[in-house]
Amino acid sequence: MQDPIVQFRHISMQFPGVLANDDVCLEIQKGEIFSLVGENGAGKSTLMNVLYGIHTPTGGSLFMKGHEVRHFSPKNAIDLGVGMVHQHFMLVPSFTVAQNIVLSKEPRKAGIFCDKKKIRKQVEDLSREFGLQVDPDAVVSEISVGLQQRVEILKTLYRGAEILILDEPTAVLTPQETNELFDILRKMVRQKGMTVILITHKLGEVIAVSDRVGVMRQGKLISVEETKNVTEHSLAAKMVGRTVLHDPFEKKGEPGKACIRVENLSVLDNRGLPAVKNLSLEVRAGEVVGIAAVEGNGQSELLEAITGMRGIQNGNVYVMDSSILGRTPGQIRAMGLAHVPEDRLATGISKEGTISENLIMGKHRRKEYTFFGIQVKKKSVRSYTKKLFDRFDIRAANLDTPVGSLSGGNMQKVVIAREFSFDTPVLVISQPTRGVDIGAIEFIHQRIMDKRDQGCAILLCSADLDEVFRLSDRIVTLYEGEITGIFQADSITKEEIGYYMTGARREEEKTHG
Amino acid sequence: MDKKKMDWGYFGSLALSILLALGVGGVIMAAAGYHPIKAYGALLQGATGCESIGEFLTAAFTKRQFGNTLEYTMVLCMTGLACALGARVGIFNVGGEGQLYLGAIVSAYIGVLLAGCAWWIAIPVAALGAMVAGGLYAWVPGVLKVKCKVNEVITTIMLNSIAIYFCTFLSTGPWKTSQGNRVSGTETLVPDLQFTRLINGSSLTTAVFAAAVIAFLVWYVMSKTATGYEMKLTGQNRRFAFFSGLKVDTITIGAMTISGAMCGLVGMFEVYGVKGSYQDGISKEFYFDGLLVAMIMRYNPVGIIFMSLLFAALRIGASGMELNAGVPGEVYRIIQSVIIFFMAAESGISASVKAKRAEKRARREANARLEGKANG
Repeated sequence: MQDPIVQFRHISMQFPGVLANDDVCLEIQKGEIFSLVGENGAGKSTLMNVLYGIHTPTGGSLFMKGHEVRHFSPKNAIDLGVGMVHQHFMLVPSFTVAQNIVLSKEPRKAGIFCDKKKIRKQVEDLSREFGLQVDPDAVVSEISVGLQQRVEILKTLYRGAEILILDEPTAVLTPQETNELFDILRKMVRQKGMTVILITHKLGEVIAVSDRVGVMRQGKLISVEETKNVTEHSLAAKMVGRTVLHDPFEKKGEPGKACIRVENLSVLDNRGLPAVKNLSLEVRAGEVVGIAAVEGNGQSELLEAITGMRGIQNGNVYVMDSSILGRTPGQIRAMGLAHVPEDRLATGISKEGTISENLIMGKHRRKEYTFFGIQVKKKSVRSYTKKLFDRFDIRAANLDTPVGSLSGGNMQKVVIAREFSFDTPVLVISQPTRGVDIGAIEFIHQRIMDKRDQGCAILLCSADLDEVFRLSDRIVTLYEGEITGIFQADSITKEEIGYYMTGARREEEKTHG
Repeated sequence: MDKKKMDWGYFGSLALSILLALGVGGVIMAAAGYHPIKAYGALLQGATGCESIGEFLTAAFTKRQFGNTLEYTMVLCMTGLACALGARVGIFNVGGEGQLYLGAIVSAYIGVLLAGCAWWIAIPVAALGAMVAGGLYAWVPGVLKVKCKVNEVITTIMLNSIAIYFCTFLSTGPWKTSQGNRVSGTETLVPDLQFTRLINGSSLTTAVFAAAVIAFLVWYVMSKTATGYEMKLTGQNRRFAFFSGLKVDTITIGAMTISGAMCGLVGMFEVYGVKGSYQDGISKEFYFDGLLVAMIMRYNPVGIIFMSLLFAALRIGASGMELNAGVPGEVYRIIQSVIIFFMAAESGISASVKAKRAEKRARREANARLEGKANG
């Protein structure tokens, strides 16, 4: 076997407070399509950014074509034949396709003028050579996302890329565009001897297109296998299975009345495609209903719709027996719902705000904390937030620390402390422990169980299957926006759940028991 | 501009920037053949009207020049705070100039209509008119931003020109004075309605008290009240604010409208305090000066009040410097620009220092881990 084209040797990448890559050893062969899968934050993008020279690893070494890379910069990486297509395209919207492709490497006339004819010719030749049809004169802002991606790929090819890294290439594509992309990738590998590395969490695509697949979890490379030896289900288990050493919690029997009722709900995603399809669900007082699904199967949109962060296309949701149609998140909160959002940085906190400011949010108008609803009672706010700060064991210098400087776990504790202290009868919790250290996980799990025992109706969604199993009384599996099964958590195994998460549908409904 | 907080490090960089700017101004003056120390002396004299510290302490409040400096401080303070109000909730009002013009002409015309009324009726009505005119003119881009996602910087800049030309139209057409030889402008207000001058010959009038009350209110709302808290959190993370149940749209439009109302009021102050009628060119980019002050002070209300004093002293002192030392007054523009230049560089410099520190820390942590592994 020939030398691998890329070799990661014990690569580690330490960011402040986060070890994004932990001792990763990986070899990529010339002429293969290699998929790197893992949940958000597992470290796949970081590893590829090391290859592309954006990050200098804090440990280990990188070999390309048998030589060690000593100087990490994108320019150097491009010179070595690495091309990367980022998830968010980096194109000049007002330029034409051809201009974008040659940008910074324009053929010149007399040293200073762009040779427009030559640019056109080169771009046409390139697109013909690789079978990537584009109109060189079209303006980028006016072409479809799928075509923009082609332009990105052509851009890397124009710079002589032999190794192509694609970061979540299908996240923005329609199924047809996805298939076209895969055809192109296969052709590039088979006919031109290129090497393709695909970062994704869509397992079906991995199976469809790649030769080998590596699974990353929490910064570590968990496994590397030939694609023909894996199934979606085995990959899913590897991706989400975090070794949990904790004991399971006792399941409780007697749930009360339905606090959340979802009826025939349909919701669109950001691209306007159906994400949740005609879905019905109930969460009753005193139970935890866990949603098990591989990322991107509608669970985020479902939770956003229930909490008012996303519009409802069809159907209805009742929280404490009132419809939420047309209600803002604030009004739904007033109906008795609190919400731990999936992306705490974007939705759950203000990074620039202090811990105290983040903890009081939503209660700041109460009469305990303001004089006549106008002036803030600074002392009462501080004594109240100090109580939460201590009770939820938030580790920070003091209440005035900006939340953005905390570790992921402590940030999450700020969110949990605020939302749980509303004492609402309904809790919607998404990814309660994503990016949270082990110690804090146990703490957060315990708080969730306390809430359940107090009679709270809890809808939980987590990318960590072990977590879903540990906390839930009932488990709902979602696949492509539809429920594939509802199970009592103590009557099903993780392996079985894996099948339903990847599309198997349950014939008989023996649930609701 | 970023939304970083004011801290002591920032004050340090600010002081350094001002000193460096004065230095650069001095070098340029020296190169042009002026004596920089004498020129700066003339600048101080131009801003205060006093020749010594002793005189300043005893007689500053009788000096015309000092009065003008305080008046311009008031203008910068009002416009700067107006800008800060919008910036606090994440909307950048660049249209203060137009709002100011509209406030000026509406209040001037109300003053003409109510010439026979007692001042305690006419002035509040005129003030209200100015605020409504400025406020509505800011409300429009506010609504466009919130409901249609139209970039407010573009709309407010364009609305500036519309307002200024519209005022020219009114002041040369329907609302033009009948006083014979004037080409444009509204009727001069009856003396009863003009603000009382606090220092003879200067522009400083009783309006400064109203401005002080408004500045206090803005500071109070922004830093002490639940509304101020909501504004701040909305500006910091709009999605989080919405998720937490704040009425982010109302907050944004409200802040923008009040910002415009304040600018309108500044227009009224110019008419009733300084000019006595609406005239074209009534504001010499007052709002943009205030906007610069606000940006340099990172929209901190107290900081804006003090920085306004410095910028006002520079601008008013510069004309005195031109008169007394023969140094072109434009030097103050240079100094102002250099301060801005350094402060703009500041965020980049301090960010790169921070990034270096973070990288070092990351390396230390990585090494510690590796050592830990080797030992364990």
